[in-house]
Amino acid sequence: MIEAHGLRREFGAVVAVDDVSLSVPDGTILALLGPNGAGKTTTVRLLAGLLAPTAGEATVAGCDVRADPAAVRLRVGLVTDTPGLHDQMTPLAYLDFFGRVYGLDSEARARRVDELLHLFDLQGFGRTRMAGFSRGMQQKVALARALLHEPPVVFLDEPTAGLDPMSARTVRDLIVGLKNASRSIVLCTHDLDEAERLADKVAILAHGRLVASDSAAALRASASQETLVHVLLAAPCAVAVTIAERAAGVSDPILSQTAQGPLLAYRTVHPLQTNPQVIAGLVGAGAAIVSVTCTSATLEDVYATAVGSTPSTSTLAGAYR
Amino acid sequence: MSYQPPGDMPMTWLIGRRAAIEAMQDRLSLLMGVGFAIIVPVLLVALIVRSVGAGPGADGEPLGGDMLALYLLIVGLLPTISAIGIASGQFAGEKERGILTPLLASPASNGAIFAGKVLGAIIPPLVYAVVADCVYLLSLVVLVGPAELLLLPLPLCLTMIALVPLVACFAASVASLISSRVRTYNAAQQIGGMVLMPLWGVVFALAGKLADWGPVGMLGVLAGLALLDVVVTTVAAGTWRREEVLAHR
Repeated sequence: MIEAHGLRREFGAVVAVDDVSLSVPDGTILALLGPNGAGKTTTVRLLAGLLAPTAGEATVAGCDVRADPAAVRLRVGLVTDTPGLHDQMTPLAYLDFFGRVYGLDSEARARRVDELLHLFDLQGFGRTRMAGFSRGMQQKVALARALLHEPPVVFLDEPTAGLDPMSARTVRDLIVGLKNASRSIVLCTHDLDEAERLADKVAILAHGRLVASDSAAALRASASQETLVHVLLAAPCAVAVTIAERAAGVSDPILSQTAQGPLLAYRTVHPLQTNPQVIAGLVGAGAAIVSVTCTSATLEDVYATAVGSTPSTSTLAGAYR
Repeated sequence: MSYQPPGDMPMTWLIGRRAAIEAMQDRLSLLMGVGFAIIVPVLLVALIVRSVGAGPGADGEPLGGDMLALYLLIVGLLPTISAIGIASGQFAGEKERGILTPLLASPASNGAIFAGKVLGAIIPPLVYAVVADCVYLLSLVVLVGPAELLLLPLPLCLTMIALVPLVACFAASVASLISSRVRTYNAAQQIGGMVLMPLWGVVFALAGKLADWGPVGMLGVLAGLALLDVVVTTVAAGTWRREEVLAHR
């Protein structure tokens, strides 16, 4: 369980994190999104007991980050944006060292190291120096290190960066497994698809401040109530736009020629009421309909709006204007 | 899950031992260490002691026992120069390579991390120093003759040998202090070198006078240095905060 209220961290004159409040209950994944320099890493360091907040309060796994940072560090697992391995060491020696640092006795160390090497398919490399490891293998060892002491709270900074698709899937399955085991997980990522698939809650940071925080579905809904509708026609239909304009609740209808064929696009707040009217009108006018596709706002749209970027041409608002 | 991390002393040893092993696995450090520990003492005896002042075939005045004892300090101290490089790598170097954060994120205390790093910077040079002094004495026996050992004044020899770990500890503490407060390995090494190189000069000058000060003077110098080590290491470990490493943005 993570609870933070009004966290602020200054580095001299620079305010890296300002008034960040968040809650991550047990068995929940929070995706922390934001551009580089937004304050994600500083937020994680504050919550992991590495940095003391300049202002604000936070408890992690029941421990106060300000009053007892050592207890916080004992209860969290942290994977940083770089694997951070000693490349002259072997995974066995490296994990054994951190097992000792976290106070695992010899039996627990042997058991956990064996379990984790098997989990990450590294059992054949236990005695190989990590100098020659690929980024993916290094990331697996870093994950194993973070999970060695079975922490109730896990901070993962880009955990699937550099991993091949199957390894990334293993890590995502592991994250879901940790969630099911009632761990609180904070996932920093630039992969919005990964965030949407894994996270129960998404928090977006920009310039050190929390600019959005809710479930991905709620954020998407709040970003735009409109649905973008694409109607692909088998042949050109001169009255398609007129038919769409006549239907209640349709905005910005446009007909364009695509590689697949003529495409009618429009936006609507009430697709359940609007689409049947438009489709009935098109069929009545003799148009042959190949497909109808509805798209609501994506997390990328929400993110772009929240961090103040210019929306791309694929965003809902700008696509067909 | 409920694990109890080790106390400060065992944690310091744990961190120091791992840091020392890693430093000794570094090829450049290993090469330097072997050079200082084996080649330098042999060359010193073969080229200077043997040909200048002692043993068969010597063409000058015999070297006194005091000078032979001073060489014990010289060959022992040379490997401790590497403590600057190792200490520079422990904080600034590891930070540059991104490998320090996992340790900072661990339950180890600030004092245990700092003291462990200092220990890790001391152990390899001391191992090389012990080897170097043994090689020096062995070279005296082999190249000059066993009788040469009888010239060595025991109190002065013991003082010279005791000076080596004391100076190494001071150098490692100061170099670690610098390394933990700068951003890059190169900066740590350059500043460490500038600050500590004069120290070696002072130690050699001091060592040259020790024979005249007698056993009490020798003990006083050793006690003073030991006290300085304790103060510097304690203050450095007590004032260092892991935040200082992470706060550099």
